[in-house]
Amino acid sequence: MLAIADNYFAQFALPVDFEINSGRLGSRYRELQAEVHPDRFAASGEEQRLQAIKLSSYLNEAYETLKSPLRRAGYLLRLRGIDVEQVAQSDLAPELLFEQMELRESLAELSGGESAFDRLDELNRKAASRLAERQRQFVQALAGNRLDQARKLFHELQFLHKLQTEIDKKEESLESVADF
Amino acid sequence: MSLLQISEPGGGDPRRAVHRRAAGIDLGTTNSLIATAIKGEVRTLADADGAHLLPSAVQYGAGGLLAVGAAAKARSAADPGNVIVSAKRALGKSFAELRSGGGFRQYRFDAGKGDAAPAFVTAAGPRDPVEVSAAILRALARRCREETGEELAGAVITVPAYFNDAQRQQTRHAAKLAGIEVLRLLNEPTAAAVAYGLDRGGQGNIIVFDLGGGTFDVSLLSLRKGVFEVLATGGDTALGGDDFDQAVADWLIAQGGVEAVAAADWPALLQVANQARERLGDADQAEVVWRDWRGALDAAQFAEIAAPLVRRTILSCRRVMRDAGVDTGAIGNVLLVGGATRMPLIRQAVAKFFGREPLTDIDPDRVVAMGAGIQAEVLIGNRPTGDFLLLDVNPLSLGIETMGELVEKIIRRNTAIPVAKSQEFTTFKDGQTAMALHVVQGERELVGECRSLARFTLGGIPPMVAGAAKVKVTFQVDADGLLSVSAEEASTGGKAEVQVKPSFGLDSGQIEQMLRDSRDHARDDMLARALGEARLDATRLMDAISGAIKENGEILSAAEKSGIEQALAELRDAMAEHDSARIEELTQRLNHVSEAFAARRMNLTVGAALRGESIDTLSRETE
Repeated sequence: MLAIADNYFAQFALPVDFEINSGRLGSRYRELQAEVHPDRFAASGEEQRLQAIKLSSYLNEAYETLKSPLRRAGYLLRLRGIDVEQVAQSDLAPELLFEQMELRESLAELSGGESAFDRLDELNRKAASRLAERQRQFVQALAGNRLDQARKLFHELQFLHKLQTEIDKKEESLESVADF
Repeated sequence: MSLLQISEPGGGDPRRAVHRRAAGIDLGTTNSLIATAIKGEVRTLADADGAHLLPSAVQYGAGGLLAVGAAAKARSAADPGNVIVSAKRALGKSFAELRSGGGFRQYRFDAGKGDAAPAFVTAAGPRDPVEVSAAILRALARRCREETGEELAGAVITVPAYFNDAQRQQTRHAAKLAGIEVLRLLNEPTAAAVAYGLDRGGQGNIIVFDLGGGTFDVSLLSLRKGVFEVLATGGDTALGGDDFDQAVADWLIAQGGVEAVAAADWPALLQVANQARERLGDADQAEVVWRDWRGALDAAQFAEIAAPLVRRTILSCRRVMRDAGVDTGAIGNVLLVGGATRMPLIRQAVAKFFGREPLTDIDPDRVVAMGAGIQAEVLIGNRPTGDFLLLDVNPLSLGIETMGELVEKIIRRNTAIPVAKSQEFTTFKDGQTAMALHVVQGERELVGECRSLARFTLGGIPPMVAGAAKVKVTFQVDADGLLSVSAEEASTGGKAEVQVKPSFGLDSGQIEQMLRDSRDHARDDMLARALGEARLDATRLMDAISGAIKENGEILSAAEKSGIEQALAELRDAMAEHDSARIEELTQRLNHVSEAFAARRMNLTVGAALRGESIDTLSRETE
């Protein structure tokens, strides 16, 4: 049904690179799903249907890994043999921890009211610009084969991503009591 | 018996020679429709009077079924207890839920078959929501037979995207009761997108905003080359046009125009409210007459009454956009589905939120049935497969309970299905040989506030120090949305497995309550999570140190020992409080005062291991 490639990038006929053609990723994903999706095998035998579920799940996982910049970065490190699950305390620079604490504190202090959304937007912009900056540095580190630095940057990206998730949550909780 | 299967010379699919009648059915809260292919084009069918909508109303008399559709609806005010309307809202509900639900004030319920299978008490005896739905489905199948002269061979029936497993099962059951073969249950917004996408050649990102009589769904789909990819879905299965009518009726009561309304008068009052609401579609003011009371409802008043309901729809929209990570600017079109989207109030709110006028040239009542009709043609074999593909998502997050009664989400809501995800967990105590796994569903971070789906135990873990065992837990959701969970210990390959239906028994009201709670309590959750984590870290450290003192206390000086014990006592006191910062601080202090001890003990242990002595004594059997 589907030939499993060496890595997710190859599966979607994309170069192994952080910079990704997301339009191409999406269209390749849909083409492949059209071949393996279980709905295509509604009338087939048990074995074929099970195989379709497995392949379709695999494609979903591959697609979601490459679609998210953070997961893509982690996957690129994994391809270079680096276990990104293990965060060492030494990977996190004190300045980063301090900066994170500062951002989190301003998030925690936010309460309702008109201006809360503006401040949330501002925090979001801050996080996004730091994320973009570190992403650039990550790409450079990877290109220069400075893997230790790339791994540290990845952990910083993880932190910033988590912060963004918390900003989203905060926004949801503020929305539920706000008028608009 | 292959007389009918005459292939054309030169081959071809013999199946094509046999046309089988297939239809799409929109089984709605207020109205239902059936669509089928007439001369190659799928369209909805009308009754003898030219009406496409069949009111979802069924009247029962002493002798049994009296009427279905418009005739039944017309008698709703005169025979309130025996004309069942909005039965769809009762699907999958328990007896207790139906009795407490405000939408069914005119009915009495019977729990003769148990709390899980309540029935309406009618002149014909108890009739459950499945039977009522079956009566509606039978009337639609008859309409199809009369129009086409053919028996219905199979149907695609639509359900709200947010319908849970019990509601889906009951819909299937109603079809079976009506003698209809179900080809597939299809989500309503997806059906609408199919009709729109295939018939209009729509491409790009579209929003389907589906506000029906009793349910609300909003889905964001990407339409590209015949693939309908659901990017995110959200909604509220207890929000629809009915709620707007009830709000108007409650307003009438509050105005003093209506004195104590008897349960039997409720349908008549609702009809007055509904007429006033619908008139406001074309006029700025609607006259309201109830018995000998006369008054008027104007658009501004109605906007105020309806504001909380409108707000709920927009909150769902915001969430869907955020979940998909898509900006409103990237939306190509907004499709309105469901009769309740005719309200100017809704259209304005939707236009304002998405920054574009929604499409209004598509009949919001008929598009869902048409989409279902198109898919029915494919599934029955009248239309080639490969025409289009639907890629769906799971609506609620699935996770596992971890220490501190926290939930670790394994599959997040709006993940494309089918999907398989694994995560590694480890033991909490030294020598722990079994791990209890608790599978939950919901968006909150605390176990108690999510829906429990299943519990199972993985045994046979070899005794090791805390944190050394690696247990891989795998969640799998197939294309039908069914979840299975398995757990495996890495070093021995010991396995435990369980299969659960994710939303079985979970009523839709609970789904929304959970979603709303998670929205409202995001901050509480963060605090609770921080506290839970702090307590967990503290417990771990205290256990480790207490154990270590018991084992190797002799290597401590008296001063060291009292220092550690004092830090231990302080931390133990702080655990009873709810201050996570204080717990963290004391944990760090304890860590600090015991550092030298830990280092010496480590040397001791390594030395012992190097001498080839057993280190088993270091672990304790705690579970």
